[in-house]
Amino acid sequence: MRRALLAALTVAAAAAALVALVAGWQQEHVIRVRATTTTSLYATGLLEFLEEEFKRVRPGVEIDFITVGSGEALRRAAQGDACLVFVHAPSLELAYIRAGVLERGAIFAYNYFVIVGPSDDPAGVRAAASAAEAFRRIYEAGEAGLARFVSRGDNSGTHVRELSIWRAAGLDPRGRPWYVERGAGMAETLVTASEMQAYTLSDIGTYLKLKREGRLHDLEVLYTNSSELINIYSVYLVSSCAGEEREVAEEFMEFVVERQDLIAGYGADEYGQPLFYPARERLDELKRLWWSLAEG
Amino acid sequence: MMAMRLLALEDVWYSYDGKRWVLRSATLSVSGGEVVAVVGPNGAGKTTLLKIMGLLYRPQRGRVLVKGVDAWASRAAALRLRRSVVYVHERPIMVRGTVLDNVALGLRLRGLDGAEVRRRVSAVARALGIEGLLDRDARKLSAGQAQLVALARALAVEPDVLLLDEPFANLDEEGREVVADVIRGYSREGRAVVVVSHDRSVLARVATRWVRVRDGRVEAP
Amino acid sequence: MEALTDIVLRSLWVSGSATLLSSLWSLPLAYAMAVSRRLGLLAPIMEALVGVPTVVVGLVMYMLLSRTGPLGFLNLLYTPYAIIVGEAVLITPVIVSTAYRVIRRSVETYGELARTLGAGPLQAAALVLSQSAPGLAASVVMGFSRAIGELGVAFMVGGNIAGYTRTLTTAIALGVAMGEYELAMQLGLVLIALTLAVSLAVRASKRLWE
Repeated sequence: MRRALLAALTVAAAAAALVALVAGWQQEHVIRVRATTTTSLYATGLLEFLEEEFKRVRPGVEIDFITVGSGEALRRAAQGDACLVFVHAPSLELAYIRAGVLERGAIFAYNYFVIVGPSDDPAGVRAAASAAEAFRRIYEAGEAGLARFVSRGDNSGTHVRELSIWRAAGLDPRGRPWYVERGAGMAETLVTASEMQAYTLSDIGTYLKLKREGRLHDLEVLYTNSSELINIYSVYLVSSCAGEEREVAEEFMEFVVERQDLIAGYGADEYGQPLFYPARERLDELKRLWWSLAEG
Repeated sequence: MMAMRLLALEDVWYSYDGKRWVLRSATLSVSGGEVVAVVGPNGAGKTTLLKIMGLLYRPQRGRVLVKGVDAWASRAAALRLRRSVVYVHERPIMVRGTVLDNVALGLRLRGLDGAEVRRRVSAVARALGIEGLLDRDARKLSAGQAQLVALARALAVEPDVLLLDEPFANLDEEGREVVADVIRGYSREGRAVVVVSHDRSVLARVATRWVRVRDGRVEAP
Repeated sequence: MEALTDIVLRSLWVSGSATLLSSLWSLPLAYAMAVSRRLGLLAPIMEALVGVPTVVVGLVMYMLLSRTGPLGFLNLLYTPYAIIVGEAVLITPVIVSTAYRVIRRSVETYGELARTLGAGPLQAAALVLSQSAPGLAASVVMGFSRAIGELGVAFMVGGNIAGYTRTLTTAIALGVAMGEYELAMQLGLVLIALTLAVSLAVRASKRLWE
């Protein structure tokens, strides 16, 4: 009797698993577009917001965001495993454009990187006249044992930018005891900086989000809003992308570029300031800055 | 009627590890109607001998003939002939389920139909006096009961040669008498039984022939 | 982030299917290793493979399933099926090496019993496997626990896509990456509760079986 019950249960479980498997296969046909994106961009919620708006005018599609660092986002595109790429690392982008991986692209938004650090600012970053000078001050304070710096260390757009600022300052902090290579995403890096009372470079969106959630004690924006800290977000179509996925990808790219009004207001209610600025009004200037970042 | 030679070992050598020979040039033949008693000191190779006769182990050298056919000439032959020689372990192995499930195991493996299975199970159960146990959980039997069940399981498939390893070990006097009767009766049907045991008094009641295993050889006692 | 129940159900479905799929080859392989001396030599290798980091398996699976990889034509990357296949591969060493130990013991007793009664190789296998069912259930559960608790494969080949390939572990990793530690912690507790529940359920059914 018990044996029969058990056998029946086993059969039922196996049948249920099978049905679930089959049901999974028979999902209604939607066109899926694979898009790799940087963590900082995804974490703000902007991309999913844009996807929702896009799906209103173009039902029956799904944009699958795969959230990784800019380096990996591009690498995956090169492998043929993405159709769209949302990134903010001009020098990496240029390399992949030249390699023929990326076909067409557009700058759709920008904001500024911020140098954040402890409010007592032992390195005196607040008084710096440029980002390079701010980094030089951190370097000196670090050598004097007064400050530490936490680097993403993950080949992300933010990391690439940080390294280019060190280069502009003529310094190489790698291997110094006060220079911490975290190897993690922006949020984790910010939390680490907060825990260690250290400086770091962050995108404004992730910083504001974590600050508002009370995750960052005593970590403040000490330097920002100069064109040298501009953070340019681009979207690219990947050359290997084909078929209906490509059609939808092109539509979504167009939508993102066309509807920059959606970007302009995003996050203003929540964070008291917009997280992104639409690229449209300053496009020529942004292109010029993009090239200097890409080649510099 | 001349008794048929049912099982024969010819110059059989066997080693578990490839280094030490447990059996060395063992030769023995068993005919219908015989009850062969196998004695010998512990570790002499008695169980190994029985398992080779039961086609469970394949000897490295020598031949095992079942009804005149070389059993290890092919895999298929060994599989087919194994059905006519059944070895019963010294320590009975009970599968999950009732005593009935256990006694019927060999019959079900042969794909016999339900009615035939029931007929044979009740016949052997009656012969061994275990009808009352058939619905019991086979894993909750005493050692003696389990031994009778294991014997019943072997008898049910009616092998030509029955190979019993210490079948009296866990039994009381009454149980030994029952098993001895069954062994005698089985050999009278023209089949053969080979018994390994330390219990010489009960062996004396059933044996038609004695052999001794010593240093991996089979000798006359 | 999407509803918790969706993520939980998806995780159960993906890891459950991976476990079933893996059992299809892992249990027969474990049996073959238990009866064949030559295949038995695989046992230490399988045991060593148990410790391979999941992200390494994930990376290998990614290279295989990538559009430009040898299995790219299957179009499995970034689907739940990619995770199922990847996790099935991942948990093969766990299931094989634990099941191998269970079956080996069983082959020595029930395998030999079956042969004394004239069973063919398949009949012997059936008897051995049915007699070791509780032990095999435990090894399959170990496989399931490893599958549902692993991150590397789900992340690399699934892509952590919201509403499609996001599982408990990738949601936890995303929560950590986004600094949402409370959410990550809650998901972690759900994961522990789930694996505990499955393991207790199997123990209970084992008692029923005995």
